[in-house]
Amino acid sequence: MPEREPVTFQLDGRTVHAPAGTMLVDAAAMHGVEIPIFCYEPRLGAPIGACRMCLVEVEGMRGLQTACSTPVAPDMVVRTQSEPVKQAQDGVLELFLGNHPLDCPVCDKGGECPLQDRTFRFGPGTTRFAEPKRHHPKPLDLSSLIALDRERCIACFRCVRFSQDVAQDRNLVFEERGGRTYIATASGEEYDGRFTGNVIDLCPVGALTSNPYRFVARPWDVKNAPSVCAHCSVGCNTELTAREGRILRVTGRPQPNPAVEEGWLCDKGRFAYPATFGPDRITTPLIREGGEEREVDLEEAVAYAGVLLSRGAAPGFLLGATATVEEGFLALELAARLPNGTAGRLGVPSDGLDVLRALPAAELGDIDGADLVAIVGGDPANAQPVVELRVRKAARRGARILVIGPRSTPLDGLGGRVRTEPGRLVTCIETLTDAVLGAASPVVLWDEADLANEPQAAVRLAELLAGRAGARQIELGGDASTAGLRALGIPAGLMLGQAVAQRIGTFVAVHVDPTDGPGGAEWAAALARVGPIIAIASHRSRLTDRAAVVLPALTPYEQEGVLVSMTGRAQRLRAGAPGPGGAAAGWEILVALSHRTGKPLPYRTPRQVFAAAAEAHAAFAGMSYDTIGDLGQPVARPAAPAEAPPPPAAAGDGLLVVPCPAIFGDATARRSDALAAVRTPPRAWLAQDDAERLGLNGDGLVRLASPHGEITLPAAVDPRLRPGGVFVALGADGAPGAESLLPPDRGPVRASVARA
Amino acid sequence: MPQLNLVYRHREAGGPLTELTAYERAGGYRALRETLANLDPDETLYQFQRSGLRGRGGAGFPTGRKASFLPKDAPLRKYVVCNADESEPGTFKDREIMEMNPFQLLEGLTLAGYAIGAARGYIYIRGEYEHQARILDRAVAQARAAGYLGQNVMGSGMSYDITVYRGAGAYICGEETALLESLEGKRGQPRLKPPFPAVAGLYASPTLINNVETLSALPPIMERGADWYASLGTEKSPGTKLFSISGHVMRPGNYEIVLHDTTLRELVEDIAGGLRPGRRFRACWVGGSSVPVIGEEALDTPLDYESLQAVGTFLGSGGCIVMDDSGCIVRASLRLAHFYRHESCGKCTPCREGTNWLERLLQRIVDGDGRMEDLDLLESLFGRMSGTTLCPLADGAVAPIRSALRLFRDDFERVVREGSPRPEPMMEATVA
Repeated sequence: MPEREPVTFQLDGRTVHAPAGTMLVDAAAMHGVEIPIFCYEPRLGAPIGACRMCLVEVEGMRGLQTACSTPVAPDMVVRTQSEPVKQAQDGVLELFLGNHPLDCPVCDKGGECPLQDRTFRFGPGTTRFAEPKRHHPKPLDLSSLIALDRERCIACFRCVRFSQDVAQDRNLVFEERGGRTYIATASGEEYDGRFTGNVIDLCPVGALTSNPYRFVARPWDVKNAPSVCAHCSVGCNTELTAREGRILRVTGRPQPNPAVEEGWLCDKGRFAYPATFGPDRITTPLIREGGEEREVDLEEAVAYAGVLLSRGAAPGFLLGATATVEEGFLALELAARLPNGTAGRLGVPSDGLDVLRALPAAELGDIDGADLVAIVGGDPANAQPVVELRVRKAARRGARILVIGPRSTPLDGLGGRVRTEPGRLVTCIETLTDAVLGAASPVVLWDEADLANEPQAAVRLAELLAGRAGARQIELGGDASTAGLRALGIPAGLMLGQAVAQRIGTFVAVHVDPTDGPGGAEWAAALARVGPIIAIASHRSRLTDRAAVVLPALTPYEQEGVLVSMTGRAQRLRAGAPGPGGAAAGWEILVALSHRTGKPLPYRTPRQVFAAAAEAHAAFAGMSYDTIGDLGQPVARPAAPAEAPPPPAAAGDGLLVVPCPAIFGDATARRSDALAAVRTPPRAWLAQDDAERLGLNGDGLVRLASPHGEITLPAAVDPRLRPGGVFVALGADGAPGAESLLPPDRGPVRASVARA
Repeated sequence: MPQLNLVYRHREAGGPLTELTAYERAGGYRALRETLANLDPDETLYQFQRSGLRGRGGAGFPTGRKASFLPKDAPLRKYVVCNADESEPGTFKDREIMEMNPFQLLEGLTLAGYAIGAARGYIYIRGEYEHQARILDRAVAQARAAGYLGQNVMGSGMSYDITVYRGAGAYICGEETALLESLEGKRGQPRLKPPFPAVAGLYASPTLINNVETLSALPPIMERGADWYASLGTEKSPGTKLFSISGHVMRPGNYEIVLHDTTLRELVEDIAGGLRPGRRFRACWVGGSSVPVIGEEALDTPLDYESLQAVGTFLGSGGCIVMDDSGCIVRASLRLAHFYRHESCGKCTPCREGTNWLERLLQRIVDGDGRMEDLDLLESLFGRMSGTTLCPLADGAVAPIRSALRLFRDDFERVVREGSPRPEPMMEATVA
């Protein structure tokens, strides 16, 4: 954003400066003066001036002015503490509290409530309101996740504006008017959506509270820690609330990260934390020996694992979706110190896409300034949810939106929609070229898995963007760990082959069960051909049920480390809670294993591990925990590869399988009981033509079979789809979906479709 | 005591002018025809300014000046919106225009559209005016068929059409920005200003909003000349004004009078037939319910903007509500408080909560449960409600009650002590 000219003005008798156009509220805050607010929230759009809390005196202007909507002007004389201002503040607060139930002792918001805080700081302290208060039925469940207390509501419009303008689900509305105004859903049904929990953070009173957090803790009993969400590749900055060693709440940070999530979280990220104390959490180390299974302490389990590692040659370290840079680095180090050791990661082998990654990259925050936002493939609304809000924001500002790809996505209605034939993304390049050439600051978001399957499209896209000054790109894809592990040079897609070829001895799984996911059957077969399995895991899985040693790991909520987001931003995880007593951080376990194998790694803290990683790997050169700080730091971009890989051929017969991410369909959503009510079971969709050809009109069960597996799912016709594909939602263990049909590298595959 | 029917042309004609032919026979559409033939838009706008016409909806802002605020070179379409959401208690003057003389409104709306270069005019009419909306619909259809609306109006090359849009009966939608929200299909609530409608109004485009009576005054101004119109009344209050007189008078109704030439006493005693026998004048809300109440001592005030302001009230909408000595001023204040509480949109805290508190307080006082300190509380509440909100609704709630408390303090104190007995049923009507 261009620097704005500073303006000099008078604030309570002081001469101060602020950039031109800054609203008085913000300008005053820059100089340590708090002007109380309720409705003002710049992330929701232009100010609305409804609550009247921020009235100040501006010399020469008649009456009091709302500081939230009055920009600073040269030589303006502003008074925020004068008697008329004090009167107005007393007045507004007394009026707010007149009908407010004042049930602070039993209100979840009590202790961290802006209404409370501002009443103490700016209010009259007493009330003269002696009339009966207004009543509403309460509490109501606005949804399974959100409780609504209409008596506490001060009608600040924040939640309504979020729903109407930011998430644009347009479901939260005011009903009635005047003093009888209350919050409701337009549909009369539950408030459902992908981002509903943000209204809890936005609510300045206890009207909207979290159902899972309801009556669980008081603010003065909890500890809050800034951290990062590890449930997808976006890397939203979060705040973790813990009490007595348990994570009890996840919220957006009070100081949002403007480059990433801007304070918004998706409901999956916000309500996934109950899994940290769910029934399948591993809390006790386990050794399986000679057909027997025994619970041991961590010391013994690590010792035993050390013996397994030292005894066998060619250990293989496989890193999963939440592995940190530190864990990846230690796995590499250990692999290098042990004979024929290797380290690999799950995920899509997509080094060929470095041709795109090498181009000028954008942060999510840069979407705000783009005049064209093009999404090529994927479905960010489901797979990288918070991206959706950024794109909607750009659309609201007037940017052109182009959604390109085979799937139906929630962003389709935003502007230009180019629906491609399954597997034919390359056909969009022409449309995209015209759009990009006509734009000054285009941002193109491209999907890793889709483009890895169509390298020719990636090359064409790279050629288009490389020639455009001002054009930038964002990769959509991977998991929380992917970009960090890739930056360490840890390859994807190699270890399965090594296992099949019996070149892996001891198999060390770090936060991963490869049998639950694409190519799960192949992995299960391959693991029968490796040596003993050491599982470093936080949750039970098929792998931990068969591993020789299970080392309970901390979750990303409980440990330190660095994750690199899909935009290449290194950010710090912080321990919000200590985690179960029998568990340890993955990095700590790996260091301990190094000692047990006689190849000690000299690190005692994750900070040291990261420093060593930064020393050894160019992508992290010059970085440390301090330089990453609270808001993160970009890692170095890769160089473009010499040549593009050949396009992979789709195995199997029938329709091309188009995997469709489902925000509430994955393992995260399945593990959290808070999300039980919003979980979606996997489904399949077909284009009209295909359905007719296969005699599948109407809804019903279909049986899908690919060379990698088969599955029976309910199917429906989606008339918006183009023929040639079967669109299958991704699922997870317990409710499997498209991953059952996919090859281990998520490459293209075809499946036969028949009525079940 | 001159009455002069310029806006109420039908009264001169002796019957309703709901047919285009009848309106034209009564001199209608001559102004538009001659304006289109002889004046360019800027010259037309200049005539509006020269006439001194002030907005008749209540605020009294000079009409020509308001129209001149619209940017001349904006790339966006411009709109004229007619505020026909006549909801001010005691005000029913626009209803008669739309019912009896609808073409004059259409002609005025077209003249305004021509002056600012608008492509379309809207008439936002309150939901309860169903009959009037039908008459307007029919009039628009006739005007269109005659070539007075649509492509190439009267062969002048001007392209202009009018849409009648029915509101849902909210008082707040008479506030111009809430009206625009409602017209755009949203919840009727005032917008933050700036930007003002002249810059970003309907669909964020430059918009001129005027009251029915204001627009209906344009044809006679163009017909007889701005100078002639300006010669009526005073310099600051030129022209004629409609008064809706209601309450304790023998001949309630609408009357069009030349500003300044009539006093309140003449309006009440002569034009409206005086009070009921044996009754004495007590109080009057001269410009609708949102203006300060005045008492007997103000009866000889000439009816114009500046004279009424000098006695502490406003000309407002001209909805003159008269109360004789059979009424209770506290009970009347409660009734007004009830109205404003019911009509507050709820956007601004001081209005949403303040009108609610105000009604409850007055109810308690009327019920005989008041305390003397409640009167001080009322005064404090008025201070916190007025001047702190987006739109004037809260000020409108405060003005009549605050003035009543000041002017009739004795009555309030008596009611605090004794309560207020239920009055004869004449004034009682409840809004849900």
